[in-house]
Amino acid sequence: MKLKHLSIFAAIVCTANLNSCQTISLAPPPRVTPELARAGGRQQVDLATLREGRSLFVSRCIECHTLPMASRFRESDWPCIVHEMGGRAKLKPAERDAVLAYILAVHSQSR
Amino acid sequence: MIGPERSDTVDFRHELEYGVTDKLQVSVYLADWFYENQPERSGFAYSDSAIELIYNLTNPVDDPIGFSIYGEIKAGDRLIELESKLIAQKNFGRLILAYNATLEAVWEGHSLQERGGEFQQAFGASYELSPRLSAGIELLHEFVFPEWRDDEKIRNLFVGPNVSYRRGNWFVTVTALAQATNTADEPDLQVRTIFGIGL
Repeated sequence: MKLKHLSIFAAIVCTANLNSCQTISLAPPPRVTPELARAGGRQQVDLATLREGRSLFVSRCIECHTLPMASRFRESDWPCIVHEMGGRAKLKPAERDAVLAYILAVHSQSR
Repeated sequence: MIGPERSDTVDFRHELEYGVTDKLQVSVYLADWFYENQPERSGFAYSDSAIELIYNLTNPVDDPIGFSIYGEIKAGDRLIELESKLIAQKNFGRLILAYNATLEAVWEGHSLQERGGEFQQAFGASYELSPRLSAGIELLHEFVFPEWRDDEKIRNLFVGPNVSYRRGNWFVTVTALAQATNTADEPDLQVRTIFGIGL
């Protein structure tokens, strides 16, 4: 009986997953490279800032949720998202800027 | 729920967690208490207070496996308990796999003369179905050592689903574990609910 309930639950999870239309990536977020910095060239940010942004992204954001792909939201949506989430994660303004710079660079590269 | 006569126990823990650094978290359990409903008695009672430390050794996204070590000291009415834990976690995008190995040592009773130990290993998998909703499965395998002996070969296995919902600065996670073994002194079903608020 217990296994039957478990099977029903597993079927629901699998069905919900199949119904998801979003792109699924199992890989970690892209590393910071000169190419990535050039992709985000419009922002005029250096490699050190992008590295700090990525470091914060992969350590602080996972405390509450998995890491979204940069392409999951529009470029114009990210500043608002990072501002709101950065408040919950207690990020300082400079840290929020670094995270945003990293995400926008990845977003530009993925286009 | 414990047989042969049915009884229910509800344990309450209230945790205040603070991130000291990106790698170190400290938590205080001011007062753990419980409600029990047994044939011979029922009511609320204070259980213990506790403090815990968690240190993150590696990152579950970037490193092959994210490891953390966990230590907890619990003290209460004729009770002292030490709990140490190795936590392993790996994030694959929206899928999170976790393994906990826990070793507990308990001294309780008059003059703390009753002692015992327990080794637990727990495996969990959780998938983020949407930014607000995650669901998964959890297995808990226990090795119980009364008086630090393994004469009775007490082994318990629990298995069941977990669901987590988060919105704004709060979240709630519910896990229901059914006993897959047949140990009379262990619960047939344990339901764990964690409600958290980010301050």
